Amino acid sequence: MRIDSVFDIVFDSLIKPLCLAGVSILSDIITVDDLVEVYGDGTKAVQGISFRVGEGEFFGFLGPNGAGKSTTIKVLTTLLRKTSGRVTVAGYDLDKEPQEIRKLIGAESQETVVDGDLTGRENLKLQGNLQQMRGAALEERVKELLKLVELEDVADKRAAFYSGGMKKRLDLASALVHKPKLLFLDEPTTGLDPQSRARIWEYLEGLNRDEGITVFLTTQYMEEADRLCRQLYIIDQGKVIANGSPEELKRQVGADTITLSVVGGEKDGVKAEAKQTLSGISGVTKVIDSDGGITAYATNASQIVADIVRAFDEKNMQLSSINLARPSLGDIFLQHTGKRIRPEELNTKPASGMRFARRRPARE
Amino acid sequence: MTLFNDTRHLFVRSLKKLIRNPILIFFSLFQPIIFLLLFTQLFSKFAQAPGLFPAGVSYLAYATPGILLQNGFSSALQSGTSIVDDLNTGFLQKMLVTPVSRSAILLGRLTADAFRVTVQSVIIIVLAYAIGFSVATGLLGILAILAIVAFFGLAWSGISLALGLRTRSAETVFGIAGFLSFPLLFMSTSLVPQTAMPAWMQSVSSVNPISFAVNAVRDLSLPNYFSAGDVLAAVGVIAAIAVVTLGATLYLFRKVVS
Repeated sequence: MRIDSVFDIVFDSLIKPLCLAGVSILSDIITVDDLVEVYGDGTKAVQGISFRVGEGEFFGFLGPNGAGKSTTIKVLTTLLRKTSGRVTVAGYDLDKEPQEIRKLIGAESQETVVDGDLTGRENLKLQGNLQQMRGAALEERVKELLKLVELEDVADKRAAFYSGGMKKRLDLASALVHKPKLLFLDEPTTGLDPQSRARIWEYLEGLNRDEGITVFLTTQYMEEADRLCRQLYIIDQGKVIANGSPEELKRQVGADTITLSVVGGEKDGVKAEAKQTLSGISGVTKVIDSDGGITAYATNASQIVADIVRAFDEKNMQLSSINLARPSLGDIFLQHTGKRIRPEELNTKPASGMRFARRRPARE
Repeated sequence: MTLFNDTRHLFVRSLKKLIRNPILIFFSLFQPIIFLLLFTQLFSKFAQAPGLFPAGVSYLAYATPGILLQNGFSSALQSGTSIVDDLNTGFLQKMLVTPVSRSAILLGRLTADAFRVTVQSVIIIVLAYAIGFSVATGLLGILAILAIVAFFGLAWSGISLALGLRTRSAETVFGIAGFLSFPLLFMSTSLVPQTAMPAWMQSVSSVNPISFAVNAVRDLSLPNYFSAGDVLAAVGVIAAIAVVTLGATLYLFRKVVS
């Protein structure tokens, strides 16, 4: 046997896999292989999920209530012991070194958790203390965070007096106090009004973009997943249905839709001609009547809009409206499960604390 | 070191919560103070009946030790409800995601409970002094009494904590622990000596752990009553209860934590 073929074998079977493994350890902040979680009552909450999250990624789980999203987060944040599977977080084995993992992660649970008897500042300081921070460095960090989440004005009021949106922001800030490398957010905007939701989205984008924090988020909202996540796993009943970037996922659905109406379209002759014109344009796969007028399916609608307008112009037909719609993440869920994702609002319970005194939420 | 600091931070948190909800202190002090101010007056003539109560001892002097222990009970009850609160709001889980020492979560709670019982005991002793009570063994005796009551409170905290962790319901904690406390109090030597009880109650009261604790406090407060054996017996009985109740708490807490 020649020496270089021996080398080839050694390289292929030993060195190359080791190098690849090394690369993946370096770049993946979360690795999950075949995670299974079965509850005491036999409920199979997670049924063999595997994924990788790269460092600096904005990663998300999209799925309806009961899909296994929260369960997965509880396992990854060391709150719940997994039934089986292999998980590493920030390079540490979940079972062997949970304490190391806890130092590097921040987590926000689905329910907003703040101590209503403590002020906003005290909540953050306590959280810092639990993360083994103290002294001037902690004071400084708390100030910084209060500014970030715009709670400086109410920092010394008890959190029980905060509005829902303010509590959520305080909760988010307390997950950030020790500058975690990795942030877990379980449905961070469920139950919030659109304005508060938009504000949380801005913070999260900023944290990921400016501070390089890896974010793992779960959500029931397609809009949220679409806007924030660069890597998305669509989950239902403890299993992964589809994964990819939101763009890739939508491309899997296939066609965009173009809905248009023409002046005089109520006359059969005009409509028939319009449909014929549309069918003649390359890229259009199907033309149907719809309540908006005529709907055409095309793989890449934005590129053929000009062709459509030109073709109608040549035939002297006037368009009264034209609408493009990209496929939504909901279409993917629909395709795979035959169901629509319907977000359910949480029953927001009042936070802990005084049970006997009357309280009014503070105004933002 | 971590354990110490974490315990200190959580101790401070518990105290802040308590100070900001003074109504809770009011609730646990209300009954003992009613007993102290009204009961002792109501029963003052009975204590003079020959043969039932120790001679020359006022009912106030006799019953104040029992009232101190009753105060230990009623504040220990609220210990369990506060852990139920942390469990149900998710605050406990929020702590568990951090590297905080797990033992500190329980220790912070228990030290705050002990501190609280002690402050309440001081309030009761001051009030009792104002209406004529005194501790025969002096300042050292008072310190020993405070320690016994606090230790007793801790053992009872264990019961309410274990119930809270097991049932996760504040109502159940109040229900069961509250249900336990009055019969135990009445069937002890807290308010009436054994000689004044029917025979069956005498036998219950002589094995009732509260009787042991109250006898020790009485040994320290009544003149010429001191017996080191009684005090040691009380400490032994309370320690035995604490091992069982705090052991159960620790076991249930471990289950919640992992």
